Amino acid sequence: MKFFEKLMKIDRRIIYLILALVVIVPFLRPFMIHPKAMPPVENLYNYIDSIPPDKALVISVDYTPDTEPELQPMTIALLRHAFARRIKVGVLTLGVLGLGLAENALTQVANEFNQRATTREDSIIYGRDYVFWGWQTPALTVILGMGERISRVFSVDYYGNKTETLPMMQKIKNYNNVGIVVSVSASATPLWYITYGQTSFGIKVGIASTAVQAADMYPYLNSGQATGLLSGMKGGAEYEELVQTRLGITGRRRATEAMAAQTSAHFTIIAFIIIGNIGFFALRRRKK
Amino acid sequence: MKRRIPLLIVFVFGVLGAIPFLIPHRIIQDADNEFRSSVLRIIVAFSLVLGVGSIIRHHYEKIRRKRENWQYSYVTLISLVISAIIGLFGGIEANGILPTRFVFPFTNYTFRFDIQTLYTNIMVPLGATMFSLLAFFMTSAAYRAFRARNIEATILLFSAFVVMLAAVPLVSSIFPKLSFFSEWILTVPNTAAKRGLGFGIALGSMATSLKIILGIERGWLGGTG
Repeated sequence: MKFFEKLMKIDRRIIYLILALVVIVPFLRPFMIHPKAMPPVENLYNYIDSIPPDKALVISVDYTPDTEPELQPMTIALLRHAFARRIKVGVLTLGVLGLGLAENALTQVANEFNQRATTREDSIIYGRDYVFWGWQTPALTVILGMGERISRVFSVDYYGNKTETLPMMQKIKNYNNVGIVVSVSASATPLWYITYGQTSFGIKVGIASTAVQAADMYPYLNSGQATGLLSGMKGGAEYEELVQTRLGITGRRRATEAMAAQTSAHFTIIAFIIIGNIGFFALRRRKK
Repeated sequence: MKRRIPLLIVFVFGVLGAIPFLIPHRIIQDADNEFRSSVLRIIVAFSLVLGVGSIIRHHYEKIRRKRENWQYSYVTLISLVISAIIGLFGGIEANGILPTRFVFPFTNYTFRFDIQTLYTNIMVPLGATMFSLLAFFMTSAAYRAFRARNIEATILLFSAFVVMLAAVPLVSSIFPKLSFFSEWILTVPNTAAKRGLGFGIALGSMATSLKIILGIERGWLGGTG
Protein backbone atom coordinates (compact mmCIF):
# COMPACT_ATOMS: atom_id res chain seq x y z
CA MET A 1 0.00 0.00 0.00
CA LYS A 2 2.71 2.41 1.01
CA PHE A 3 4.70 1.68 -2.12
CA PHE A 4 1.75 2.65 -4.37
CA GLU A 5 1.04 5.73 -2.28
CA LYS A 6 4.65 6.76 -2.74
CA LEU A 7 4.29 6.21 -6.48
CA MET A 8 1.53 8.79 -6.48
CA LYS A 9 3.34 11.29 -4.31
CA ILE A 10 6.84 11.66 -5.70
CA ASP A 11 8.38 14.88 -4.42
CA ARG A 12 8.42 17.55 -7.12
CA ARG A 13 12.11 18.28 -6.41
CA ILE A 14 12.96 14.70 -7.45
CA ILE A 15 10.94 15.20 -10.65
CA TYR A 16 12.79 18.47 -11.35
CA LEU A 17 16.17 16.86 -10.73
CA ILE A 18 15.49 13.88 -13.00
CA LEU A 19 14.15 16.13 -15.76
CA ALA A 20 17.18 18.44 -15.48
CA LEU A 21 19.50 15.45 -15.84
CA VAL A 22 17.72 13.95 -18.83
CA VAL A 23 17.75 17.33 -20.60
CA ILE A 24 21.36 18.23 -19.78
CA VAL A 25 23.02 14.85 -20.48
CA PRO A 26 22.05 14.72 -24.21
CA PHE A 27 23.63 18.16 -24.65
CA LEU A 28 26.87 16.90 -23.11
CA ARG A 29 26.83 13.61 -25.04
CA PRO A 30 24.86 14.60 -28.15
CA PHE A 31 23.39 12.08 -30.52
CA MET A 32 21.87 13.27 -33.75
CA ILE A 33 18.41 12.02 -34.66
CA HIS A 34 17.46 12.79 -38.25
CA PRO A 35 13.72 13.33 -38.53
CA LYS A 36 11.63 12.62 -41.61
CA ALA A 37 9.75 15.67 -42.84
CA MET A 38 5.98 15.53 -42.38
CA PRO A 39 3.61 16.86 -45.11
CA PRO A 40 3.01 20.33 -43.54
CA VAL A 41 6.78 20.94 -43.38
CA GLU A 42 7.42 19.54 -46.84
CA ASN A 43 4.62 21.65 -48.33
CA LEU A 44 6.18 24.84 -46.98
CA TYR A 45 9.61 23.78 -48.20
CA ASN A 46 8.31 22.98 -51.68
CA TYR A 47 6.39 26.23 -51.93
CA ILE A 48 9.40 28.35 -50.95
CA ASP A 49 11.53 26.30 -53.33
CA SER A 50 9.23 27.24 -56.20
CA ILE A 51 9.17 31.01 -55.57
CA PRO A 52 9.99 32.63 -58.95
CA PRO A 53 13.06 34.92 -59.21
CA ASP A 54 10.96 38.09 -59.40
CA LYS A 55 9.30 37.43 -56.05
CA ALA A 56 10.60 37.56 -52.50
CA LEU A 57 10.25 35.50 -49.37
CA VAL A 58 9.13 37.61 -46.43
CA ILE A 59 10.00 36.34 -42.95
CA SER A 60 8.15 37.93 -40.06
CA VAL A 61 10.17 37.35 -36.88
CA ASP A 62 7.32 37.51 -34.39
CA TYR A 63 8.87 35.90 -31.33
CA THR A 64 10.79 37.03 -28.30
CA PRO A 65 13.89 35.69 -26.50
CA ASP A 66 11.85 33.27 -24.36
CA THR A 67 11.05 31.11 -27.39
CA GLU A 68 14.37 31.70 -29.16
CA PRO A 69 15.66 28.11 -28.67
CA GLU A 70 12.58 26.70 -30.39
CA LEU A 71 12.01 29.28 -33.13
CA GLN A 72 15.39 30.75 -34.04
CA PRO A 73 16.53 27.49 -35.76
CA MET A 74 13.46 27.77 -38.00
CA THR A 75 14.34 31.34 -39.05
CA ILE A 76 17.92 30.23 -39.72
CA ALA A 77 16.79 27.22 -41.78
CA LEU A 78 14.38 29.40 -43.81
CA LEU A 79 17.15 31.91 -44.51
CA ARG A 80 19.58 29.15 -45.53
CA HIS A 81 16.98 27.78 -47.91
CA ALA A 82 16.26 31.18 -49.47
CA PHE A 83 19.90 32.21 -49.80
CA ALA A 84 20.85 28.84 -51.28
CA ARG A 85 18.11 29.16 -53.90
CA ARG A 86 18.93 32.86 -54.46
CA ILE A 87 15.46 33.93 -53.42
CA LYS A 88 15.27 37.57 -52.30
CA VAL A 89 14.41 37.90 -48.60
CA GLY A 90 12.67 40.67 -46.71
CA VAL A 91 12.66 40.42 -42.91
CA LEU A 92 10.47 42.34 -40.50
CA THR A 93 9.20 42.00 -36.96
CA LEU A 94 5.82 42.87 -35.51
CA GLY A 95 7.22 42.96 -31.97
CA VAL A 96 10.15 45.11 -30.94
CA LEU A 97 11.87 42.26 -29.09
CA GLY A 98 12.18 40.31 -32.31
CA LEU A 99 14.62 42.86 -33.77
CA GLY A 100 17.72 41.52 -32.08
CA LEU A 101 16.86 37.92 -32.93
CA ALA A 102 16.25 38.73 -36.59
CA GLU A 103 19.52 40.65 -36.73
CA ASN A 104 21.42 37.70 -35.19
CA ALA A 105 19.88 35.20 -37.63
CA LEU A 106 20.56 37.36 -40.69
CA THR A 107 24.14 38.10 -39.68
CA GLN A 108 24.85 34.42 -38.94
CA VAL A 109 23.43 33.02 -42.18
CA ALA A 110 24.83 35.80 -44.41
CA ASN A 111 28.29 35.16 -42.86
CA GLU A 112 27.97 31.41 -43.44
CA PHE A 113 27.31 31.96 -47.15
CA ASN A 114 29.86 34.72 -47.56
CA GLN A 115 32.62 32.59 -46.01
CA ARG A 116 32.01 30.00 -48.71
CA ALA A 117 31.63 32.57 -51.52
CA THR A 118 34.45 33.08 -53.97
CA THR A 119 33.01 35.90 -56.06
CA ARG A 120 30.75 38.86 -55.48
CA GLU A 121 28.02 37.03 -57.40
CA ASP A 122 28.22 34.12 -54.95
CA SER A 123 28.04 36.41 -51.95
CA ILE A 124 24.94 37.37 -50.04
CA ILE A 125 24.83 41.14 -50.13
CA TYR A 126 22.63 43.39 -48.05
CA GLY A 127 20.26 45.43 -50.16
CA ARG A 128 20.74 43.19 -53.19
CA ASP A 129 19.80 39.77 -51.77
CA TYR A 130 18.06 40.66 -48.55
CA VAL A 131 16.68 43.60 -46.64
CA PHE A 132 15.96 43.93 -42.95
CA TRP A 133 13.02 46.31 -42.77
CA GLY A 134 12.95 46.32 -38.98
CA TRP A 135 9.96 46.97 -36.77
CA GLN A 136 6.86 49.07 -37.20
CA THR A 137 3.68 49.24 -35.23
CA PRO A 138 0.73 48.67 -35.01
CA ALA A 139 0.61 45.25 -36.65
CA LEU A 140 -2.60 46.00 -38.55
CA THR A 141 -0.96 49.01 -40.23
CA VAL A 142 2.08 46.96 -41.18
CA ILE A 143 0.21 43.94 -42.57
CA LEU A 144 -2.30 45.96 -44.59
CA GLY A 145 0.17 48.70 -45.51
CA MET A 146 2.60 46.21 -47.06
CA GLY A 147 -0.13 45.26 -49.49
CA GLU A 148 -0.14 48.84 -50.77
CA ARG A 149 3.53 49.81 -50.63
CA ILE A 150 6.23 48.28 -48.44
CA SER A 151 8.49 51.33 -48.56
CA ARG A 152 5.67 53.45 -47.20
CA VAL A 153 5.37 51.25 -44.12
CA PHE A 154 9.15 50.97 -43.71
CA SER A 155 10.48 54.26 -45.07
CA VAL A 156 13.89 53.42 -43.59
CA ASP A 157 15.31 49.96 -42.90
CA TYR A 158 16.70 48.71 -39.58
CA TYR A 159 20.07 50.31 -40.29
CA GLY A 160 18.63 53.67 -41.20
CA ASN A 161 18.98 53.38 -45.01
CA LYS A 162 16.18 54.79 -47.11
CA THR A 163 14.29 51.65 -48.15
CA GLU A 164 13.50 52.88 -51.65
CA THR A 165 17.19 53.37 -52.42
CA LEU A 166 18.06 49.68 -51.86
CA PRO A 167 18.46 47.74 -55.15
CA MET A 168 16.21 44.85 -54.07
CA MET A 169 13.39 47.25 -53.26
CA GLN A 170 13.25 48.48 -56.87
CA LYS A 171 11.43 45.24 -57.68
CA ILE A 172 9.77 44.40 -54.39
CA LYS A 173 7.02 46.97 -54.02
CA ASN A 174 4.14 45.18 -52.29
CA TYR A 175 2.54 41.76 -51.82
CA ASN A 176 2.31 41.37 -55.63
CA ASN A 177 6.08 40.90 -55.55
CA VAL A 178 6.08 38.56 -52.55
CA GLY A 179 5.89 34.79 -52.97
CA ILE A 180 4.95 34.00 -49.41
CA VAL A 181 5.04 35.52 -45.94
CA VAL A 182 6.28 33.10 -43.29
CA SER A 183 5.38 34.22 -39.80
CA VAL A 184 7.71 32.64 -37.24
CA SER A 185 5.75 33.12 -34.09
CA ALA A 186 4.97 32.03 -30.55
CA SER A 187 1.58 33.73 -30.60
CA ALA A 188 -1.36 34.32 -32.94
CA THR A 189 0.45 36.68 -35.35
CA PRO A 190 0.34 34.22 -38.30
CA LEU A 191 -3.44 34.42 -38.04
CA TRP A 192 -3.27 38.23 -38.39
CA TYR A 193 -1.48 37.74 -41.71
CA ILE A 194 -4.27 35.37 -42.75
CA THR A 195 -7.10 37.56 -41.43
CA TYR A 196 -5.84 40.83 -42.90
CA GLY A 197 -3.07 40.19 -45.44
CA GLN A 198 -4.58 37.14 -47.10
CA THR A 199 -8.20 38.28 -47.00
CA SER A 200 -7.42 41.69 -48.48
CA PHE A 201 -4.51 40.92 -50.82
CA GLY A 202 -4.51 37.15 -51.29
CA ILE A 203 -0.97 36.75 -49.96
CA LYS A 204 0.23 33.20 -49.24
CA VAL A 205 1.03 32.60 -45.58
CA GLY A 206 3.35 30.01 -44.06
CA ILE A 207 3.45 29.36 -40.33
CA ALA A 208 6.36 28.44 -38.09
CA SER A 209 5.19 28.19 -34.51
CA THR A 210 6.00 26.73 -31.13
CA ALA A 211 4.65 23.23 -30.48
CA VAL A 212 2.26 24.64 -27.87
CA GLN A 213 0.80 27.09 -30.37
CA ALA A 214 0.69 24.68 -33.32
CA ALA A 215 -2.64 23.08 -32.38
CA ASP A 216 -4.30 26.48 -32.96
CA MET A 217 -2.84 26.65 -36.47
CA TYR A 218 -4.12 23.33 -37.81
CA PRO A 219 -7.61 24.61 -38.79
CA TYR A 220 -5.92 27.13 -41.10
CA LEU A 221 -3.64 24.47 -42.52
CA ASN A 222 -6.62 22.24 -43.29
CA SER A 223 -8.53 25.01 -45.00
CA GLY A 224 -5.54 25.82 -47.22
CA GLN A 225 -5.19 29.31 -45.77
CA ALA A 226 -1.78 28.31 -44.43
CA THR A 227 0.55 26.89 -47.06
CA GLY A 228 2.62 24.92 -44.58
CA LEU A 229 3.42 24.59 -40.91
CA LEU A 230 6.61 24.08 -38.94
CA SER A 231 5.51 22.89 -35.55
CA GLY A 232 7.91 23.22 -32.62
CA MET A 233 11.45 21.94 -32.35
CA LYS A 234 10.60 18.89 -34.46
CA GLY A 235 9.26 21.07 -37.29
CA GLY A 236 12.51 23.06 -37.21
CA ALA A 237 14.57 19.87 -37.26
CA GLU A 238 12.58 18.51 -40.21
CA TYR A 239 13.15 21.74 -42.17
CA GLU A 240 16.87 21.64 -41.34
CA GLU A 241 16.95 18.07 -42.62
CA LEU A 242 15.30 19.08 -45.92
CA VAL A 243 17.66 22.02 -46.41
CA GLN A 244 20.70 19.83 -45.80
CA THR A 245 19.66 16.75 -47.74
CA ARG A 246 18.13 18.49 -50.76
CA LEU A 247 20.39 21.53 -51.07
CA GLY A 248 23.54 20.28 -49.37
CA ILE A 249 23.66 23.33 -47.13
CA THR A 250 25.64 22.52 -44.02
CA GLY A 251 25.89 24.48 -40.81
CA ARG A 252 25.00 24.06 -37.19
CA ARG A 253 21.55 22.47 -36.83
CA ARG A 254 20.33 23.60 -33.44
CA ALA A 255 16.83 22.12 -33.73
CA THR A 256 18.22 18.71 -34.72
CA GLU A 257 20.74 18.87 -31.87
CA ALA A 258 17.94 19.64 -29.42
CA MET A 259 15.92 16.62 -30.61
CA ALA A 260 17.98 14.36 -28.34
CA ALA A 261 17.10 16.41 -25.24
CA GLN A 262 13.46 16.65 -26.34
CA THR A 263 13.33 12.89 -26.90
CA SER A 264 14.61 12.07 -23.42
CA ALA A 265 12.39 14.75 -21.83
CA HIS A 266 9.27 13.36 -23.55
CA PHE A 267 10.13 9.81 -22.46
CA THR A 268 10.61 11.05 -18.88
CA ILE A 269 7.26 12.84 -18.85
CA ILE A 270 5.54 9.73 -20.22
CA ALA A 271 7.29 7.57 -17.63
CA PHE A 272 6.13 9.82 -14.79
CA ILE A 273 2.54 9.78 -16.08
CA ILE A 274 2.63 5.97 -16.26
CA ILE A 275 4.10 5.72 -12.72
CA GLY A 276 1.37 8.04 -11.40
CA ASN A 277 -1.33 5.96 -13.07
CA ILE A 278 0.07 2.65 -11.77
CA GLY A 279 -0.20 4.03 -8.25
CA PHE A 280 -3.67 5.42 -8.95
CA PHE A 281 -5.07 2.13 -10.29
CA ALA A 282 -3.43 -0.01 -7.59
CA LEU A 283 -4.92 2.11 -4.81
CA ARG A 284 -8.33 2.24 -6.48
CA ARG A 285 -8.42 -1.57 -6.80
CA ARG A 286 -7.53 -1.98 -3.12
CA LYS A 287 -10.20 0.49 -2.02
CA LYS A 288 -12.82 -1.56 -3.92
CA MET B 1 -20.05 65.21 -22.06
CA LYS B 2 -17.70 62.92 -20.19
CA ARG B 3 -19.66 59.93 -21.49
CA ARG B 4 -20.90 61.18 -24.83
CA ILE B 5 -17.55 62.11 -26.39
CA PRO B 6 -15.88 58.70 -25.78
CA LEU B 7 -19.07 56.97 -26.97
CA LEU B 8 -19.12 59.10 -30.12
CA ILE B 9 -15.42 58.45 -30.84
CA VAL B 10 -15.92 54.71 -30.44
CA PHE B 11 -18.99 54.74 -32.71
CA VAL B 12 -17.33 56.76 -35.47
CA PHE B 13 -14.05 54.85 -35.48
CA GLY B 14 -15.75 51.48 -35.01
CA VAL B 15 -17.87 52.06 -38.11
CA LEU B 16 -14.93 53.56 -40.06
CA GLY B 17 -12.83 50.51 -39.21
CA ALA B 18 -15.40 48.10 -40.63
CA ILE B 19 -16.35 49.98 -43.81
CA PRO B 20 -13.10 49.39 -45.81
CA PHE B 21 -13.56 45.63 -45.46
CA LEU B 22 -17.04 45.91 -46.98
CA ILE B 23 -16.59 48.60 -49.67
CA PRO B 24 -13.62 48.09 -51.99
CA HIS B 25 -14.00 51.53 -53.69
CA ARG B 26 -10.69 53.33 -54.23
CA ILE B 27 -11.67 56.45 -52.26
CA ILE B 28 -12.63 54.41 -49.21
CA GLN B 29 -9.49 52.28 -49.48
CA ASP B 30 -7.21 55.32 -49.85
CA ALA B 31 -8.83 57.04 -46.89
CA ASP B 32 -8.43 53.88 -44.80
CA ASN B 33 -4.81 53.54 -45.88
CA GLU B 34 -4.11 57.13 -44.91
CA PHE B 35 -5.82 56.65 -41.58
CA ARG B 36 -3.82 53.51 -40.80
CA SER B 37 -0.49 54.91 -41.98
CA SER B 38 -0.69 58.25 -40.26
CA VAL B 39 -3.37 58.64 -37.62
CA LEU B 40 -3.13 55.16 -36.12
CA ARG B 41 0.66 55.39 -35.82
CA ILE B 42 0.45 58.73 -34.03
CA ILE B 43 -2.08 57.29 -31.59
CA VAL B 44 0.14 54.24 -30.99
CA ALA B 45 3.17 56.49 -30.40
CA PHE B 46 1.33 57.94 -27.41
CA SER B 47 1.10 54.47 -25.90
CA LEU B 48 4.90 54.42 -25.64
CA VAL B 49 4.83 57.63 -23.63
CA LEU B 50 2.01 56.23 -21.54
CA GLY B 51 3.84 52.94 -20.99
CA VAL B 52 7.17 54.47 -19.99
CA GLY B 53 5.41 57.01 -17.77
CA SER B 54 3.35 54.31 -16.15
CA ILE B 55 6.31 52.01 -15.39
CA ILE B 56 8.35 54.89 -13.93
CA ARG B 57 5.46 56.06 -11.76
CA HIS B 58 4.63 52.54 -10.56
CA HIS B 59 8.20 51.72 -9.50
CA TYR B 60 8.86 55.18 -8.08
CA GLU B 61 5.80 54.80 -5.84
CA LYS B 62 6.90 51.30 -4.85
CA ILE B 63 10.31 52.56 -3.77
CA ARG B 64 8.86 55.61 -2.01
CA ARG B 65 6.40 53.54 0.02
CA LYS B 66 8.89 50.69 0.51
CA ARG B 67 6.38 48.08 -0.65
CA GLU B 68 7.27 44.39 -0.78
CA ASN B 69 10.40 43.72 -2.90
CA TRP B 70 10.87 47.45 -3.49
CA GLN B 71 14.61 46.91 -4.00
CA TYR B 72 13.96 45.23 -7.34
CA SER B 73 12.28 48.38 -8.60
CA TYR B 74 15.70 50.02 -8.61
CA VAL B 75 16.88 47.28 -10.99
CA THR B 76 13.95 47.97 -13.33
CA LEU B 77 14.42 51.74 -13.34
CA ILE B 78 18.21 51.63 -13.70
CA SER B 79 17.93 49.05 -16.52
CA LEU B 80 15.31 51.21 -18.25
CA VAL B 81 17.48 54.33 -18.15
CA ILE B 82 20.74 52.60 -19.12
CA SER B 83 19.26 50.62 -22.02
CA ALA B 84 17.42 53.71 -23.26
CA ILE B 85 20.63 55.78 -23.26
CA ILE B 86 22.67 53.04 -24.96
CA GLY B 87 19.91 52.32 -27.45
CA LEU B 88 19.32 55.96 -28.33
CA PHE B 89 22.92 57.16 -28.49
CA GLY B 90 25.04 54.04 -28.92
CA GLY B 91 23.68 52.91 -32.27
CA ILE B 92 22.76 49.36 -33.12
CA GLU B 93 26.25 47.92 -33.19
CA ALA B 94 28.56 50.43 -31.51
CA ASN B 95 28.20 52.92 -34.36
CA GLY B 96 26.44 55.76 -32.55
CA ILE B 97 27.69 58.97 -30.92
CA LEU B 98 28.06 57.26 -27.54
CA PRO B 99 31.16 55.04 -27.47
CA THR B 100 30.07 51.50 -26.60
CA ARG B 101 33.22 49.65 -27.61
CA PHE B 102 36.56 49.74 -25.82
CA VAL B 103 39.72 48.10 -27.03
CA PHE B 104 42.06 47.32 -24.15
CA PRO B 105 45.56 48.57 -24.85
CA PHE B 106 48.31 45.96 -25.49
CA THR B 107 45.71 43.26 -25.95
CA ASN B 108 43.27 42.35 -28.70
CA TYR B 109 40.42 42.23 -26.22
CA THR B 110 37.42 44.38 -27.12
CA PHE B 111 34.72 45.09 -24.59
CA ARG B 112 31.37 45.91 -26.20
CA PHE B 113 28.17 46.99 -24.57
CA ASP B 114 26.12 48.18 -27.57
CA ILE B 115 22.40 47.40 -27.53
CA GLN B 116 22.72 44.29 -29.73
CA THR B 117 25.47 42.83 -27.50
CA LEU B 118 23.42 43.53 -24.36
CA TYR B 119 20.33 42.04 -25.97
CA THR B 120 22.08 38.88 -27.17
CA ASN B 121 23.93 38.28 -23.90
CA ILE B 122 21.36 39.35 -21.32
CA MET B 123 17.84 39.37 -22.75
CA VAL B 124 18.09 36.18 -24.80
CA PRO B 125 19.49 33.88 -22.06
CA LEU B 126 17.20 35.41 -19.41
CA GLY B 127 14.12 34.98 -21.58
CA ALA B 128 15.06 31.43 -22.58
CA THR B 129 15.72 30.52 -18.93
CA MET B 130 12.34 31.80 -17.82
CA PHE B 131 10.53 29.88 -20.54
CA SER B 132 12.51 26.69 -19.95
CA LEU B 133 11.20 26.57 -16.37
CA LEU B 134 7.87 25.63 -17.94
CA ALA B 135 9.23 22.17 -18.74
CA PHE B 136 9.69 21.47 -15.03
CA PHE B 137 6.24 22.71 -14.06
CA MET B 138 4.63 20.86 -16.98
CA THR B 139 6.29 17.56 -16.02
CA SER B 140 5.23 17.89 -12.40
CA ALA B 141 1.70 18.95 -13.38
CA ALA B 142 1.37 16.13 -15.97
CA TYR B 143 2.48 13.57 -13.37
CA ARG B 144 -0.12 14.78 -10.86
CA ALA B 145 -3.05 15.60 -13.13
CA PHE B 146 -2.96 13.03 -15.95
CA ARG B 147 -4.93 10.20 -14.36
CA ALA B 148 -7.15 7.83 -16.35
CA ARG B 149 -10.09 8.44 -13.99
CA ASN B 150 -12.83 8.07 -16.63
CA ILE B 151 -13.29 7.51 -20.34
CA GLU B 152 -12.77 11.19 -21.33
CA ALA B 153 -9.57 11.47 -19.28
CA THR B 154 -8.31 8.20 -20.82
CA ILE B 155 -8.91 9.51 -24.37
CA LEU B 156 -7.08 12.72 -23.45
CA LEU B 157 -4.21 10.74 -21.95
CA PHE B 158 -3.98 8.48 -24.99
CA SER B 159 -3.96 11.45 -27.39
CA ALA B 160 -1.27 13.18 -25.35
CA PHE B 161 0.88 10.04 -25.44
CA VAL B 162 0.53 9.71 -29.21
CA VAL B 163 1.32 13.39 -29.89
CA MET B 164 4.27 13.37 -27.45
CA LEU B 165 5.72 10.17 -28.85
CA ALA B 166 5.27 11.34 -32.44
CA ALA B 167 7.29 14.45 -31.61
CA VAL B 168 10.23 12.11 -30.96
CA PRO B 169 11.99 11.27 -34.25
CA LEU B 170 13.39 8.04 -32.80
CA VAL B 171 9.88 6.67 -32.18
CA SER B 172 8.56 8.00 -35.51
CA SER B 173 11.34 6.22 -37.36
CA ILE B 174 10.54 2.90 -35.61
CA PHE B 175 6.75 3.36 -35.94
CA PRO B 176 6.28 5.60 -39.01
CA LYS B 177 2.49 5.36 -38.83
CA LEU B 178 2.51 6.96 -35.38
CA SER B 179 3.51 10.32 -36.89
CA PHE B 180 0.62 10.14 -39.34
CA PHE B 181 -1.76 9.17 -36.54
CA SER B 182 -0.55 12.16 -34.53
CA GLU B 183 -1.08 14.38 -37.58
CA TRP B 184 -4.59 12.94 -37.89
CA ILE B 185 -5.34 13.78 -34.24
CA LEU B 186 -4.20 17.35 -34.82
CA THR B 187 -5.82 17.67 -38.23
CA VAL B 188 -9.24 16.12 -37.58
CA PRO B 189 -10.43 16.02 -33.92
CA ASN B 190 -8.28 19.00 -32.88
CA THR B 191 -9.41 21.07 -35.87
CA ALA B 192 -13.04 20.18 -35.30
CA ALA B 193 -12.84 21.34 -31.68
CA LYS B 194 -10.83 24.46 -32.55
CA ARG B 195 -13.28 25.43 -35.31
CA GLY B 196 -16.21 25.08 -32.94
CA LEU B 197 -14.41 27.26 -30.41
CA GLY B 198 -13.39 29.67 -33.15
CA PHE B 199 -16.96 30.17 -34.36
CA GLY B 200 -18.14 30.73 -30.81
CA ILE B 201 -15.40 33.22 -30.05
CA ALA B 202 -15.90 35.06 -33.37
CA LEU B 203 -19.65 35.39 -32.87
CA GLY B 204 -19.13 36.47 -29.26
CA SER B 205 -16.52 39.05 -30.33
CA MET B 206 -18.83 40.42 -33.03
CA ALA B 207 -21.74 40.71 -30.61
CA THR B 208 -19.58 42.40 -27.96
CA SER B 209 -17.99 44.74 -30.54
CA LEU B 210 -21.41 45.76 -31.83
CA LYS B 211 -22.62 46.38 -28.30
CA ILE B 212 -19.60 48.60 -27.61
CA ILE B 213 -19.83 50.46 -30.94
CA LEU B 214 -23.54 51.11 -30.46
CA GLY B 215 -23.02 52.21 -26.86
CA ILE B 216 -25.06 49.37 -25.31
CA GLU B 217 -22.08 47.96 -23.43
CA ARG B 218 -20.43 50.73 -21.41
CA GLY B 219 -18.29 48.85 -18.89
CA TRP B 220 -15.12 50.04 -20.65
CA LEU B 221 -15.92 53.63 -19.60
CA GLY B 222 -14.59 52.66 -16.20
CA GLY B 223 -17.55 53.36 -13.96
CA THR B 224 -18.57 56.63 -15.56
CA GLY B 225 -20.99 54.86 -17.93
